[in-house]
Amino acid sequence: MSDTNKFILTTRDLEIGFLKPPGKPNISLMKGISVKARKGELVAMIGQNGIGKSTLLRTLVQLHPALSGNVILNNKNIEKYTRQELARQLGFVSTEIINAGNLSVYDLVALGRFPYTNWLGNINNEDRFMIDHSIELVDLAHKRDKMLTEISDGERQRAMIARTLSQDTDLLILDEPTAFLDLPNRYEVLKLLRDLSCKGKTIIFSTHDLNLVIDQVDKIWMMTEGGMIEGAPEDLILSDSFNSVFPGSSLIFNKESGRFDYPADRLHEVYIEGEGELKAWTAKAMERKGYLPIEKGGNAEISVKVYMDNGQAYWELKTKNAISVYKSIYELMFSL
Amino acid sequence: MIDLRRLKPAKKMWTLLVLSILVLFLFLLDLFIGSVKIPVFETLKILAGGNSSHTEWEVIIFSFRIPRALTALLAGMALSVSGLQMQTVFRNPLAGPYVLGISSGASLGVAILVLGFSSFLFKASSNMIGDWTLVLAASFGSALILLLIFAVSVRIKDIMTILILGILFGSIASAMVGVMQFFSNESLLKSFVVWSMGSLGNITKDQIHVLSIVILIGLLISFGSVKILNALLLGEDYAKTLGINIKTARAIVFLSTSILAGSVTAFCGPIGFVGIVVPHLGRMLLRTSNHGFLMPGSVLIGSGLMLISDMISQLPGSEKILPINSITALLGIPIIIWIIIKRKRITQ
Repeated sequence: MSDTNKFILTTRDLEIGFLKPPGKPNISLMKGISVKARKGELVAMIGQNGIGKSTLLRTLVQLHPALSGNVILNNKNIEKYTRQELARQLGFVSTEIINAGNLSVYDLVALGRFPYTNWLGNINNEDRFMIDHSIELVDLAHKRDKMLTEISDGERQRAMIARTLSQDTDLLILDEPTAFLDLPNRYEVLKLLRDLSCKGKTIIFSTHDLNLVIDQVDKIWMMTEGGMIEGAPEDLILSDSFNSVFPGSSLIFNKESGRFDYPADRLHEVYIEGEGELKAWTAKAMERKGYLPIEKGGNAEISVKVYMDNGQAYWELKTKNAISVYKSIYELMFSL
Repeated sequence: MIDLRRLKPAKKMWTLLVLSILVLFLFLLDLFIGSVKIPVFETLKILAGGNSSHTEWEVIIFSFRIPRALTALLAGMALSVSGLQMQTVFRNPLAGPYVLGISSGASLGVAILVLGFSSFLFKASSNMIGDWTLVLAASFGSALILLLIFAVSVRIKDIMTILILGILFGSIASAMVGVMQFFSNESLLKSFVVWSMGSLGNITKDQIHVLSIVILIGLLISFGSVKILNALLLGEDYAKTLGINIKTARAIVFLSTSILAGSVTAFCGPIGFVGIVVPHLGRMLLRTSNHGFLMPGSVLIGSGLMLISDMISQLPGSEKILPINSITALLGIPIIIWIIIKRKRITQ
């Protein structure tokens, strides 16, 4: 097998943007995009707003024309596929919120069978099996006859994913599937995508939740003003690439925690004396206030001693001039 | 164990069956009502094939009442199905042939034919214009407005903007009709004004044949587009990724809508609000957005509603007949207002 066979989707020197009528110059968003996705990979695409994430995804599913370069799907230029052929190869979930009244979860997922049904759209037992199976995969069996207006945002997003599952494609492309969702639902959707990729689906999705996806995805496509960078999340961490995602922002990628931090000005050092959770959370609060916890007590301008007495926690703040005691971190913070 | 999946469509099938029986009943009921008083028993006898003591009653029932009821049936079907298609294609709950100006387009087509050609070229009365020509003119008029709205909807996605543009296009068409009326002779003008008030009763037996054939063709195309319409529920982007050719889809809907709305308007005049209201009644009654159910549902509810409107317009007990489009407006507008109030977020 040649090397390119392993990749389900590749782009070669792709240029994305908006095609304008003849006579006016096209608006190019990004040039020279050459990325790859292997079969069964979970790929997250990140980048700041307006850099062209949606446009790239829409170009990959042929809802948007490429300005130059190629998209290769299963060793064939994507422009060579008919719409019907493409519908059996890739499924797409956009950011658009579906507002069709009286559309049940089952009916929505049933639409995924569209490329396989006859001109009347008749659904046979095989289709029904696929629809039910897809609904079960996203864990919505108990909501299958509910209307889309009656379920939560997270459930609706899972139903949209189930629709692409019943479409039975090898490749799924999702535009910000975790947007508008609360934290538990973000995890749910992400875990679902992870599970699906383990079952062999190739999934490419755009997201702003870098902190969330960094230890979940196989690969990151990072759109920066300098171009597209791809690699395992860990590769990008080690090469300090993440700091170029948000140029002009003071967010700094913390290599040790694997998260973006907002750096407060750490002018003062603080020594925290105490044990376990109490010490850890006190340190966290002090960091937020711009203090840098240090290990040795000697040089610190201020020190905090946290201790338990009769089931009550006390915070003893010692500065150069005074010693005061507080009963909560909130009070301690307020006095700083 | 009860299989929910099989039970649910069965319930919808029952609803459709009940609706069919209801429409049949309304159709028969409509035959008993008219400006000439015919005793119930006599009507039954005539319908059963017996001879009545008054031969003119037979003529009235066979030549006037049955064609009128059939026209109501056909007009209701056609307007409702074209409304359903427009609501799905434009993803606009308030779309319909009347609101979007399609009916006004048909009026323009008819006006050009009746007032323009007849007065300047043929110097003939409107009765001499062929039925097929009339349908063709009205359908071309509808198609013209529909084409404009399609062209606009490619660029503008906002529901309300498209509605307003539809109303404006319709107004232009009406204004052009008004100008033509000014220049036409009196007898033609009178027949045109009568036509524009809308009527189910002015249709002849021969015209019924033409109308039936045309509407049957339109309905066949519509029923063939059920799968496409279902895919379009999610919008054009999703429809494309499901393998739909949007241009073909639009062309099919364009063709059937023009034929359906155009032909009804050609023979009955502009009839408003049936096209908007009926698809909503269908969705509420059948609790689905699957066009496999909504299409027959709209056919049945639409014909039922037109038959009821026809009966009301006959003013049972009196000899006067009210214009049909006033009745459909009076019945339809409260329902539309209710829909708007119920769905506050209609513009989204």
